[in-house]
Amino acid sequence: MNISAYIDSGILEEYALGIVSPQEKQAVECLTQVYPELKAELESIEKALEQYALQHGVAVPDRVKDAIFAQMEFGSAGAPALAAIELAETSTAKTNDDVNPFIQLEAAPSRPLWGKLGIAASLLFAAFGLWMAAQYGTTLGENAKLVSQVDELSKRTDQLQQRADYNEALAANYRNPDVKVVKMPGLEKAPDSEVTALWNQKTNEVLLDVQNLPDPPTGKQYQLWTIVDGKPVDMGMIDDDFRGKLLKMKASSPNAVAFAITLEDDGGKPSPTMDEMVVMGNV
Amino acid sequence: MESLKQNDQAAFEYLYEHYSGALFSVITKVLRDNEKSEDVMQDAFLKIWKNIASYDPDKGRLFTWMLNIARNSAIDAVRSEKRKPGMDDITDRLDRTDQNATYQPSPSTLDLKALVDTLRPERKILLDLVYFQGYTQEEASQELNVPLGTVKSRLRTALKDLKHYFII
Repeated sequence: MNISAYIDSGILEEYALGIVSPQEKQAVECLTQVYPELKAELESIEKALEQYALQHGVAVPDRVKDAIFAQMEFGSAGAPALAAIELAETSTAKTNDDVNPFIQLEAAPSRPLWGKLGIAASLLFAAFGLWMAAQYGTTLGENAKLVSQVDELSKRTDQLQQRADYNEALAANYRNPDVKVVKMPGLEKAPDSEVTALWNQKTNEVLLDVQNLPDPPTGKQYQLWTIVDGKPVDMGMIDDDFRGKLLKMKASSPNAVAFAITLEDDGGKPSPTMDEMVVMGNV
Repeated sequence: MESLKQNDQAAFEYLYEHYSGALFSVITKVLRDNEKSEDVMQDAFLKIWKNIASYDPDKGRLFTWMLNIARNSAIDAVRSEKRKPGMDDITDRLDRTDQNATYQPSPSTLDLKALVDTLRPERKILLDLVYFQGYTQEEASQELNVPLGTVKSRLRTALKDLKHYFII
């Protein structure tokens, strides 16, 4: 498993903030047990949040503390856990009382021996049947649970595999000396945006890596452009599902001097709408 | 931790002295009603005391666990009144966080506070909404009218900044 990709996915932060789904929660709790690096990372995130919360502490009126501690009992006598055990013991005592009918049955003097044996046998048989039915029910339930867990895990593995493929493709491009990396920082329209074009200077193939772009509104789509000889040239539309993958765009002219992305109507435009430009970077 | 599980009074007093301020701040942020907040603070701390045996250190830090209890108690209290957890006017919040955060400042916490205040306001608001008030990222995106992708990236940057301030 690719630990740094998992950390980069941001899931640990979401876990610490308490905004993950129950499935994601399980996955995080499981993976942090297996990988000490993940546990350490989670710990540092939680520590940072804890410090943040402590900085924002406000004074609590003393009466609140008095009211709380007045309701608490300390030491083993008041321990909540012990109280629970006592409760459990009293309830087993009760069930023992419920078994009494057997004793009364034996005490009935006039019944012949074969009758007693018959009743005992049928009671045993009925108990056995009930026990079998219960066993079968639990097995069915456990089976269903396992099936859904396996589903969940395989979904998770697919996602991780996808992420790993993406990271490997990224690394291969960054290592390739033929590939020119063109960073496009966000413009005023979307300052947090970050997109990188990977331009192979030998084949002129262009791949796009979207680190961050706002979700396009419905009916709109992003379009990539290059500037060649002072004019914008269409480089193709960007698929709406642009996160976590490398997008193959049209081949570039060798004379391109800049890359830019604009937000256009679905299907794109022959020339860019300049005030809808979200990112731009010079070669 | 051992003495907490053994229901030791001194351990719970320590816990209260250390963390009640932070927990109370979260509760008041959600409820925005001081009287009710005091009641919820009582409930939350008693819940912590009663359920301390079920806290599992393998799943995260004690504070994270306590904060979840406090926040959920506050959100439940708001829901039982059938109003939405409160979101103040943004500028109002910015002013108020500064006034509220003056609890027992020692010189070192003053330095830290100065650092925290350098968090960009749009990230701080988000962090407070999600971490203190229990908003989901989707709800925060609607409330602030910011795309979900931006919410996610701002939150991550805020946490990176925090880690930078507090851990390094």
